[in-house]
Amino acid sequence: MMDPGPKVVTYLFGNQSLPVTDTLIWAWVVCVVLIIIAWAATKNMKEVPTGLQNGAELFVTAILDQIEPMIPGHGRRLLPFIGTIFAFIGLSNLVGFIPVVQNPTSDLNTTLGLGLVVFLISHYEGIKENGPLGYLKGFAEPVFILFPLNVVSELAKPISHSFRLFGNMVGGGIIITLIYQAAPWVMPVPLHAWFDLFVGAVQALIFGMIAIAYIAVARDG
Amino acid sequence: MVEFSPEVIDTIITAAALLGAGFAMIAGIGPGIGQGYAAGKAVESVARQPEARGNIITTMLLGQAVAESTGIYSLVIAIVLIFTIAA
Repeated sequence: MMDPGPKVVTYLFGNQSLPVTDTLIWAWVVCVVLIIIAWAATKNMKEVPTGLQNGAELFVTAILDQIEPMIPGHGRRLLPFIGTIFAFIGLSNLVGFIPVVQNPTSDLNTTLGLGLVVFLISHYEGIKENGPLGYLKGFAEPVFILFPLNVVSELAKPISHSFRLFGNMVGGGIIITLIYQAAPWVMPVPLHAWFDLFVGAVQALIFGMIAIAYIAVARDG
Repeated sequence: MVEFSPEVIDTIITAAALLGAGFAMIAGIGPGIGQGYAAGKAVESVARQPEARGNIITTMLLGQAVAESTGIYSLVIAIVLIFTIAA
């Protein structure tokens, strides 16, 4: 029986503690690649952008255009966080296109980590915008009796946020694995194009957009 | 009272988990209808206002992603049933 989960490759310390999975290693590779791209794109910036700087500016303005309508006036401040989410998840989803690579996002540890970071940032923004009392008052809307229900619905957000990305990526991976066992020639190619390129790009966009929406909702109180 | 051997109990657990995974995926009907409805409305909107195409498609994808959550939950439950309980 096949096993779709992340595989433990090695241990960080000898005595079987802190296991390192293949998804974690590919996440590190994605981080390093992103850092190198960012360094190369901003190495010698010019007034009239060329090459890599052109692409980087396109990426930054595209994300600013997504943030500004939902959180007016705070686009530049939130850009590093949202932009990193877009870039990391986008590249993590697309690397599955290379046959031996395990998507870092097909591991619940990665997506739940990202979901919890978005959860913490959104609540920090909510407290900063409305003050601690206004923030707590937001939970008692529309009547005070609904306080526990609102808390539960807030706690469900990071779970649904992270499970959506995880389920999409791992589901596509399982279908591709099944097709590789049934018809290893030609058939997996369009499926790779669909699940790794299209679904990967759309899920990265959706994860970032929903992160922006959660922050905007938390700021409204 | 009928006594079952451990092998029979394991087989029953595996069978029940696999059957449960199949039943869990019935939840796939809901997102299918919901996403199709959202896509149909988006087509109507684009036909009415072709210049707002980009915004409509982004909003449609966002709504479809939220509608998809329940289907993804059932998929995760099915995966857990198949690969951890039945295995």
